[in-house]
Amino acid sequence: MRHRTFLEFARYRYLKLAVFLAIACALAYGWWRYPLGHYGGTPLGYTLGTIGAVLILWLMWFGIQKRRYRATMNLRGWLSAHVYLGTSLIVVATMHSGFQVGWNVHTLAYVLMLIVITSGFFGVFAYLRFPRLMTENLAEDTLESVSLKIADIDREARRLALGMPDEVNSAVLNSVQGTKIGGGVLAQLRERVANCPTSQAVKVVQAFAAAVKGEDAQRQQSLYALMLRKERLVGRARADVRYKAIMDIWLYFHVPCSLALVAALTAHIIAVFFYH
Amino acid sequence: MKTTLTTITRNKKGDATLTVQSVTSETLRIGRGADCKLHLSDPRISLLHAEIVTNVDHTSHIEAHGGTVSVGGEITLNAKISVGQRILLGPFEVIVLPITDDADIALSVELIDPLSDDLESVKSRINAGLASTWLSKRVFSWIAAISVLTVFLAWPVWHALEREKGLVLKTSNATLLKTTATKPLKPLLSADASWDVGPLASAHASFGSDCGACHQHPFKQVQNQACEDCHKKIGWHFALDTPQAKTVHNAVFNDTNCSDCHRDHKGANGLVRGDSKLCTDCHDNLKAKHPQTGVSDVADFSKDHPPFKVSMLLRGTGSTKKPSDSNTAASNVHIERIAQTDKTRYVESSGLKFPHNVHVDPKGVRSPAGRVQMECKNCHEADETGTRFKPTTMGAHCQSCHSLEFEPNASSRQVPHGKIADVIATVREHYALAALGSNLGSNLGPNAVTNVPAPFNAVEYQRGAKEEVTPAAPQRTLAWATSKASQINREIFEVRLCFTCHEISKTKSTADDVARWQITPIVITQHWLPKARFPHTAHATEKCSSCHDVAKSKLSNDIAIPTIENCRECHSGNVATKDKAPGTCETCHGFHTGSPKSGVPPILPGANHPTRMLKVGTAK
Repeated sequence: MRHRTFLEFARYRYLKLAVFLAIACALAYGWWRYPLGHYGGTPLGYTLGTIGAVLILWLMWFGIQKRRYRATMNLRGWLSAHVYLGTSLIVVATMHSGFQVGWNVHTLAYVLMLIVITSGFFGVFAYLRFPRLMTENLAEDTLESVSLKIADIDREARRLALGMPDEVNSAVLNSVQGTKIGGGVLAQLRERVANCPTSQAVKVVQAFAAAVKGEDAQRQQSLYALMLRKERLVGRARADVRYKAIMDIWLYFHVPCSLALVAALTAHIIAVFFYH
Repeated sequence: MKTTLTTITRNKKGDATLTVQSVTSETLRIGRGADCKLHLSDPRISLLHAEIVTNVDHTSHIEAHGGTVSVGGEITLNAKISVGQRILLGPFEVIVLPITDDADIALSVELIDPLSDDLESVKSRINAGLASTWLSKRVFSWIAAISVLTVFLAWPVWHALEREKGLVLKTSNATLLKTTATKPLKPLLSADASWDVGPLASAHASFGSDCGACHQHPFKQVQNQACEDCHKKIGWHFALDTPQAKTVHNAVFNDTNCSDCHRDHKGANGLVRGDSKLCTDCHDNLKAKHPQTGVSDVADFSKDHPPFKVSMLLRGTGSTKKPSDSNTAASNVHIERIAQTDKTRYVESSGLKFPHNVHVDPKGVRSPAGRVQMECKNCHEADETGTRFKPTTMGAHCQSCHSLEFEPNASSRQVPHGKIADVIATVREHYALAALGSNLGSNLGPNAVTNVPAPFNAVEYQRGAKEEVTPAAPQRTLAWATSKASQINREIFEVRLCFTCHEISKTKSTADDVARWQITPIVITQHWLPKARFPHTAHATEKCSSCHDVAKSKLSNDIAIPTIENCRECHSGNVATKDKAPGTCETCHGFHTGSPKSGVPPILPGANHPTRMLKVGTAK
């Protein structure tokens, strides 16, 4: 049976619900006419505002629910609902605003909402794309098993390099001691690593081939093969780290912005009723 | 040279095992290379790392070749070595020992900095997962949420509460309006600017971001009082001058607040509702709700609006609904609203004769300067507001053609445009003086008259008639003058001059000229549609004749106020159409028609005196 993503959960139950909600809001917006036009203060505006606020709080609840593994509901179902209903919020909130924007806390809440939703879209994209890439990348390996393989290569390469010219030896040593996987935020996200000691060692060992013969040449070949293997392993490990980082980074946007959204929403609601 | 090498290795506990060997070579080559007698198998050591040479004098020195050599803590290329000295070669420690046999030099060698475990080494250089970096969802969330709450909630609330306590200067909006009229507050500097939902109406723009000017109490809708601070004279939908009006008002508008209809923060022109629904909610079926109303039902200007009713000024007290209106009651006139469709009553009776067709004849109208083509604006001058017109007056608009000369020989002499008695007296005085002058032979120039009866004849008088002037003689002259004046007065009131424009009645029974004629008091409606707004300036692109068809009007009884069909040619109804101007209720009507300022006081005639009448009519 084909793997079903969270988007297809329960035969698109939440997609249908979200589309229904969005269409209902748009129809209501078109149906009711108000003398001063559409804005948050009309009866429809209040209704849409309430729906929007409740939706936002419910969507936030997903963040809490996600961490509780004794969830009452299938987590995939939650995610499906979170994505679809979150998206429908664009329509609900826009109809609520009546397209009235300004430099104020009200529009701030709206913009924060759009940022949260947009970053969520990226999250959906990441969740759909990267798990497959990660599987393809590491296959049956894990970062742990790759580390073990790299350690083995390091040991063997070091042994082989002992008998080689200093240049080769130190390049191999650099590769052993200086090859980093991941690191800071940017290092984890970046695809290419400049001056990777392993890549440099590969070049040095390759260049050494011209200068050796006989038994030395055989050792050189072995070393070269080892370093190439290591380079590939390091590349896969880095890709794995990168995929994980991309799958994570948007959450550092999504979550704080959603908290800021709740804060702005609170200010918005209080402001509206404070200066009634 | 012969070297004794003691190699020290240690187990995990740190216990040392010594291995002693003796090597003979020309020099002691140290390195990773196979040819090195001191073979140090470690990647951190060069193939030929260094070389120890024993000199002729049995001293020794070390030369660095491919690697770093540190002797006694100093990195060196070439250094003498002596017993007890500590030499560091990469991770190896070499100590020069005292010689115990025939060797040239004795050294101990120990790996003091072994390579770390490969797996641990690899793992130590893997830093995966953003959680291991400085990023923190929790910290970011707290910062974001607290920043937003502080700037956009706590600060504005604090500001508002301080103002409520009076710590921040609180001004009434009326005062604020005066003080900020020229200097609007800077919104960006205000704590609650971020709460502003939209631009204020242009009239309120000077409040800037002083929210408290209108929003006087937290969580309370803007109170009427806040509006009435400035809008002191605004009235309700109709005047509350009768118990019935008050009853209806209380029934309909009791719970209505200013802010129910007037929502600010909707842009420069957003404060006044322009839709018809505000009105048609009640007025499309008003008679059913309030059977006693005199107002017709209206649903849509384009489809369902009664014919216009003009507010005509009529003679007599009529059945005026407002006996308290002292102006009209005292002047014996009243205002009545007459539908334009009521053909029998939709007739003006002003007391004037005025054929528009003669005056606007394209061929021109006769004047002292020949035929003149008159335009509407010659008589109908726009008032200061451009809304309506200044009253037309005899002096300013008629007299240049309609001169009040009464004696062809005396073209500079005119009767006053005023009281009948003054007219009659002027004529009498004129002829008395003329007769007297004629008798005395005075040169009265153009005022001279002929055919004055003898004997008081200037010619005879000058010839030397010495006879006494008898009383009979001046009496004859006066009688002539009086008779002449009577004849002219009759012409003035019955044939020409006054009679040209005025309706004049005559009492035959009296011999007194002054009491004989009565000029019908002028009753001119100046404001025909006071319940609607019609700024003439806003319609300046149209010709007068598009709406006021006077070219064929022969009588002043004709009324040239356009009908609703005329307006509908250009104005739409509740639903805006592309090819027409708006035609909602608000386009013409206001809501606050009960305001003292709304409407215009009726035009009232004074006594029989047109000029005064017109002054009353334009009373501000």
